[in-house]
Order: sequence, then structure tokens, then C-alpha cells
Amino acid sequence: MRLSMAGNTAAAWGFRLSRVQCYPYYPITPSTTCSEQIAAWVGNGDMDGVVINVESEHSAASAVIAAAKSVRAATATSSKGLLYMVEVLENGSGSSLPFTIFVGNRATGAPINIWGDNQDAYAVRDSGLIQIFAANAQEALDAVIQSYRIGEDLTVRQPVLVNLRGFTGTHTYEPVDVPSAADVDSFLPSYLPLEPLFSPDQPVTYNAMLAAYYYRRHKRNQTAALRNASCVTENVGRQFGEKFGRSYGKFDWIGDADADLVVALVGESFGAAETIVSHLQGRKGVGKIAVLRVRLFNPFPAQEIATRIYKANTKAVVVLDEGLPHGDVFPPLALRMAAALQAHLGTQTPRLASVIGGLGGSDIRPDHFQTLFNLAANIADGRPYRREPYWLDIDEDPILLTDEKKVDQKLWKRYGDVWKAQPILDAYHKPLPSTNYEVRIYGRAGQGAITSAVFFTGAGVEQNLWVVTKPTFGSERRGAVVHTDTLIEQGASNKTRAFTARQDLVCIYDDTILTSPTHAPTRDLKPDGTVLVNSSRYSPARIRQLLGLGPKASVFIVPASRIAHELQLGSFFNMVMLGAMHCVCPLVDFGAAMTYYEKNAPRPKEANLEAIRRGYQETTDKELPAVELPAVDARAEEYFRWRPEEESLEEEMLRSLETLRG
Amino acid sequence: MDHGEHNGNGKQQSWRIPTVNRHKDFAVSGHMVFPRDKTANSECVVAPRKEPPSAAKRLVGKDGKLLGFPVFHDNRTVEEYEGLMPAPEILTLVEVARREIEGLDYAAVMNQLADLGPDGRLLLYKRDGKLLRYELFEDPRICKDIPRGAVIHNLEQKPADVSGWRVHEFVIDPKGCLGEVCTRCSRVCPENAIHLRGVGADSFCEIDPTACKGCFICWVECARKAADCILIDGKVFDSELRAAHFGE
Ligand code: SF4
Ligand code: SF4
Repeated sequence: MRLSMAGNTAAAWGFRLSRVQCYPYYPITPSTTCSEQIAAWVGNGDMDGVVINVESEHSAASAVIAAAKSVRAATATSSKGLLYMVEVLENGSGSSLPFTIFVGNRATGAPINIWGDNQDAYAVRDSGLIQIFAANAQEALDAVIQSYRIGEDLTVRQPVLVNLRGFTGTHTYEPVDVPSAADVDSFLPSYLPLEPLFSPDQPVTYNAMLAAYYYRRHKRNQTAALRNASCVTENVGRQFGEKFGRSYGKFDWIGDADADLVVALVGESFGAAETIVSHLQGRKGVGKIAVLRVRLFNPFPAQEIATRIYKANTKAVVVLDEGLPHGDVFPPLALRMAAALQAHLGTQTPRLASVIGGLGGSDIRPDHFQTLFNLAANIADGRPYRREPYWLDIDEDPILLTDEKKVDQKLWKRYGDVWKAQPILDAYHKPLPSTNYEVRIYGRAGQGAITSAVFFTGAGVEQNLWVVTKPTFGSERRGAVVHTDTLIEQGASNKTRAFTARQDLVCIYDDTILTSPTHAPTRDLKPDGTVLVNSSRYSPARIRQLLGLGPKASVFIVPASRIAHELQLGSFFNMVMLGAMHCVCPLVDFGAAMTYYEKNAPRPKEANLEAIRRGYQETTDKELPAVELPAVDARAEEYFRWRPEEESLEEEMLRSLETLRG
Repeated sequence: MDHGEHNGNGKQQSWRIPTVNRHKDFAVSGHMVFPRDKTANSECVVAPRKEPPSAAKRLVGKDGKLLGFPVFHDNRTVEEYEGLMPAPEILTLVEVARREIEGLDYAAVMNQLADLGPDGRLLLYKRDGKLLRYELFEDPRICKDIPRGAVIHNLEQKPADVSGWRVHEFVIDPKGCLGEVCTRCSRVCPENAIHLRGVGADSFCEIDPTACKGCFICWVECARKAADCILIDGKVFDSELRAAHFGE
């Protein structure tokens, strides 16, 4: 069953199909919706388990460990939540208890940052947990199911962390194949606790104190069990492939089998790297290239990776880390790669450079990998390079020198010669052609722009198209300008997740954004792209003039606010815009989409369906007949003045307490 | 949650919270949650008690909602938890050879165990006497004297002699002790060193001299302290000794 869902929901499906029996959680962005989904399923009886609302991640980890002594258990967390679990996590690995934690990877601050990087997972790399990095929602679902087979294997019995990058992974809506419960049941047997906590015949004590002699002997055993996870992961990934058609290993090698230049990474940025490899591979002036994507981060498959690199006779490895070294030689992945290569290859070790990027939700775009392969080519050429990490997207400290004036003077003294000796190789920087249809929606937070994009994606996926929606999330309040990107793949299906940030269609939900100087919404519109605006104020010609569009671009308007008002939907005009999007985007069939919306449209259903239909019909590239603008919408006004109703309940409680006490 | 507690016509709706307990689950009705037997007709829902016993000081809000957290006293005795899970058995080749296990393909299992070598293990999982599952694996431990996860199997533990830890001898005077109607000391003893002897009026508590570590807790807690029921070094616990131990 292929459905459109975000990474968090996919992980929740993984837990549901694995028949998780106990799920304690404390919500934290960006993994919250995974836990919310599980709580909803348990609440309505779709999932047979217990959800415990604990008061902190520390308690969630304690509860999940306690539960794992007797039943299959799971939780989800992120960032500081995972760090708060650290104190107890080693009780899980030390007590040899299998359970799974889904982590929506997020920066750990300070300062506070809610967006994705791998710093949280890196921070617990010394807690003895098996760590798998998923690259997309599908992999997250599959990895959760496999994590129980791996963790519960009798030669392993260790907890597992399934990582997926926050927002770009956890909140990106994409097509996911959900296996049937029966298939998963035949792949994953029910949980068998080795030392159940309440067993009358064999009562046990967990975590008693052990003195040095026994302690070190126990730690020897624990390490041996963790090591076994490596080959078990390989076997389970292969068996998963036999059953479900999607095989997994400890790492992936995409590109030339005998690549001279390798970029190594973990997690979600794999999607962009893959796109660049297929774009650059075999081009004139480009060496043999490959991406090494590490899936099993812990236990690190050192020997296998070293062997693979040795076989390929690789000259240069560039390691991309979404995390910091904090004073170490390299950040964690680069450190592990360097140690693995040095330990196993000795003098045959290829040159290795480390790059830090993607911190706190920084984009990792396809063109970044062009730079990384360029760097690798320079290094392989024997040119001087840095032994400390490079940084992505820091103008004062670029990887390759583009603008000498911007470079920091202190760094220039130290690395000026290195920069000057590193040429920019044009062959590596051929722009990625934008072959897919990309849509960007601009709206104001609260207008439901993301909701309509999600519906659009759902309808597309239902029609077997490869549609991906990547909303951006910020700390915006209601009324701030937000945008969301949707991609519809055209041509050969290689399940891309790489956006080129050049749009075929820009939808503007609020005509006040048109004139906002900070947003320039059509800056990245393709020359023959389309603009769709919710407006009853401006004519298409005026919009063309306001945005300074070229002659090949087409402009459509739809009076969405007015239609929504007429349908008594208040300020919720996003469904009208959804219909209008179908009118201007030819790729998703409207008739078929309508059957999807009939099943899934939000309440009030009839009005929303009518809104979609009217949006579809009333979109035009002509000037609208002048109509009187609707008066200020009382419901919308009320909506924007909304306050949590608990406030009044609290006051009520205080008042009745006073009455009681006289 | 989005299940309305009240449906349109104001009638209370109920639903079930599934649990992993084999015998009990929970029924939700309005604001209340009730445990009930799983074997009972799963659709039938226990009706909420009309008046909670301690409803005297309920705070009722404007819309009839309960405010605050009322305390309900439940007079039922604690039931024995029945959903206990038996631990699986883990056997070596030699142990398998000595045992007769119903429902096991001996030849295949023995072959595979032999293939796995000396660390080959057979895991047997039985429930209600029937073999449900078995698995073969290689014991990952390097140091076989430490159980998996460093757990301690309580029944295999031999009680340690801790008499060397104490400086005084603790003895209960059977004449003064209240016996089975009291047993307070045996419940507070951290070393489980105190056991009840005899029955009825003749019963009394006795301290196991190898298990007592001399912590004074029983003496402090004894219900008949005034009657000097627990003797220390054969003596009544005098003020000098008290000063030495409690710094008074
Ligand atoms: S002195 Fe302490 S250890 Fe000894 S019997 Fe009394 S309570 Fe138990
Ligand atoms: S507390 Fe005192 S009276 Fe009660 S059983 Fe123990 S020794 Fe006897």
C-alpha cells in the first residue's frame, strides 16, 4: 500500500507494524508527530499497546528500558531530549535490553535551534546503542521494523537508535510503501524477553552493583554482543529485501565501482549526493566518483568500509559531517572513517578531508556535493589540503576560493597557500538540469498552505506519481510568510528527493506578499514558469508588472478569499487554492484527485470539496470583473484573536477553590 | 483525543484501552477509567460508579466538568497479578541431550548445535507447559560466568554470611515478642534476617545470626520497644550504647 506520509508517520507505522507493546514518550520537536500518531492509534484501538505519558525524556528512557525487560518497547525523541536520556540509556545497553528509539535528528544548541543536524545522535555514540541512519521516510519505516530483528537477535540483545534528519526527513511528505501487517508478522516474530522482570520461576535483579573484576568481564560481553550487531544488520537487511523487495546493508556505495573520489556521509543528505553522482558520472573531465553512505553508524563497519575503499583503490575521501568535532581531530563520522582506514589499510590509506555542513537545518543541496567532489579531485591530484575540518557555506572560510575579498584575514594567513593551490574545476560544477516539476507555495502562517500541499501530494501519490513535499518550518507566528516546496518527478523514476530550487509553478496565497520586498517570491521561477495568485485586487497584467516577469511566464489569478467567504469557510481558502493548483498544474489528474479528496477532505467536507471545484473552475488569466470586496471577515478576525481556552478554565478553578475555602 | 466523550445526543460513550496484560484491560467511560477482565464480552463496558465514595469535596465547574483531582478509595484487596511471563530456558548441547523435550526435532537441533560449536545454545520458550518456540544461537559472551545483561538470578544466590559486619549481637526475647500479630521487625529488616517461628499465641520472631548486619533498625522499630523485646549483647539497650551509636 503506497501512501503519502511524512518521515515521522512512517516511523510510527514501523512501530505499529512491529506490534510495539509499550510506548512511553515525552514530545519534542521534530519527532513529536511520531509519538502523537502512536498515541492516536492506541487510543482508537488500531494498535494494541500502552502509551505512557511521562514527565520527561529521562523518564521516557527509564520507562522504555523497564518495559523492554518484558515487552517490545519504543519511544521517539530528538536533540536535548536524547541528551536528557543519556544518563539512563547505558542501563539499556548494559542490561542487554532490546528496544528502539526513533530520533528526529536535531541540533543541540545553544543557542536553541529546532532544525536538523546529527549532533544529538553523535552525542550518544558512546552509549552502546546500535545506530542506524535512515535517508528517507521509507527507510525509516523499514529500519524500525529491522531494528527489532537486529536488537532482539539472541547474539545481540542491544537497544537501537533509528535516526532520521529533523524536518527535511521527519516532515517531508513523500510516497511510502507500507507493508502489510501479515508480511511483517512473518518477518518479525513476537518479542521474547530473556529475563522477564516478573517471572515467578526465575526472579531476577537488574543493575546490581558489580565490582571491577565482574564489571570488566560484563563489559567485555556487552562489547562482544554489540559487535555481533554488524553482521546481523547485514543479514536482516538482506532478508528484508527478500521479503519486501528493498534490501539494506551496512553502507551503500553509489557511483563508480572503482571510484577514485569518494564522498562519505550519513543520513538524509544522501538523496542530494546521489543526484549529483548520477549527474556528474562519466562526464568529461570528471574522475571516477562515488558516494559512500554509512547506514550502520554504530557498531561502525570499519573493516568492511576499509576493504571496499581498498578494492576501489580510492585516492581521496571527503567526509561530510552534520555535527561538530568539539575539539577533536575530526567530527565523529570523519574520525571513524579516518581511524577505520588507518587501522586497516596502514600505508595504503587514501587522503581524507573532513567537511562540516548542514548544521542547525542548513541546506545540503546538490551543488554542495559538486564542491566536495571538486575538493576530492584536487586532493587526489596531490594538491595541499587542510588537516582540520572544512566548513560548508561560510563566506569567510570557503572550501574553494571564489572571492578572496570575503575571506577572513586570520585564515588567509594560515590557509592562503592551500586555497591558492586548489583550483575550481569547471567540469564538476555543471549546473544540475531541473527536469522535475517544482512547485513553491508562499502563504502566511495559519493560512493552511502546508495542508494544501500535503493534500496535493496525497492525490499525486494515489495516482502513482512520485511527489515529494518539503515544507519549511520556522519560529514564525501566525501571519508570517512561510513557504513549502513540492516536487513532481518526471521521466524515469529514480525516486528523487533533490530539489533544484527552480520552480515551474509559484502559488502565492496572499497578494500582500507580491509587494513584499524581502521575499521576491518569483526570483527562482523558471523563465516559462507559471504564477498563481489569490487575488481579487490585481489583474494578471498588473501582477506581471509587479513581479517583473518575463514574456514567457504565465500568470493566473483566482479570487480564493472571496470564494471561501461565499462558501462560509471564513479565511480558510487553502482548499480553493488547491483546486486552482490543479487548474494550472497539468501533471496531477484533477478527476482522480477529486476522488481522493472526497475521501480525505477535512471538515466541513462538502464546503471544502466545493471550494476545490470552484478553485479549479474559476482560475483565470483574464482580468476579473470588478466586485465589491467582502467586508472584514468576522470569523477570521476571531480566529486571529484566539487564545487557549484553558486560560478561562484555570480562572474558573481558582474561583471555585476560593468559594470552597469560603 | 478526538473520540468525543459525549456523542450528539448527550449519552456517554465508552471505549476500550487495550493492554498487554493477558487478563485485564481498561474501559473508559466519560472521564473515568475502569479495569476489567479481558475474557468478559469485549464489547460490554463496565458502567461507571455513580457516586465516588469520596465525592464529598468535588469541585464542579460551570459546564459540569470535574475540576481538580478527586481521590477515590478503592476497598478491594490487591489482586495477584496473573499476566506473568515465564522466562525462556537456554540449554547447551549436553543439556539438550539429557532432556526429553516434546515437540522438538532432535536430530536437526542437535546437528545445528554441534555446528555452532561449544557456544551453541538452544532457547526453549514454553507457555502453559507447551513448547511455543525454539531458537538456536551462538552465545555471544566471552566471560561465561557473567549472565547476559549482568542480571542476578535471585533463586541461585546463596545467602552471604554478614555476621562479620556487626559489632553487637541482636536477639529477640521470645517472651516479650508479640509474634504473628506484629512481625513489624521482620518487615523492616533490610537483610531479611528476621523470621517468624511458631503459630498463634506461641509465635515469636527470631533473628538469623548469619544474616543480621547489626543495623539497629529492628530495635528502633520494634512495637514493644518499651518492653525491651530486642536485646543487644544480651542487654537492654542502655543510654550509653545509644549515645555511642546515635550521637545523642
Ligand atoms: S539489626 Fe538490622 S539486620 Fe539485624 S535483624 Fe535487626 S534490622 Fe535486621
Ligand atoms: S517488632 Fe518487636 S514485638 Fe513485633 S514481632 Fe518484632 S520483636 Fe516482636
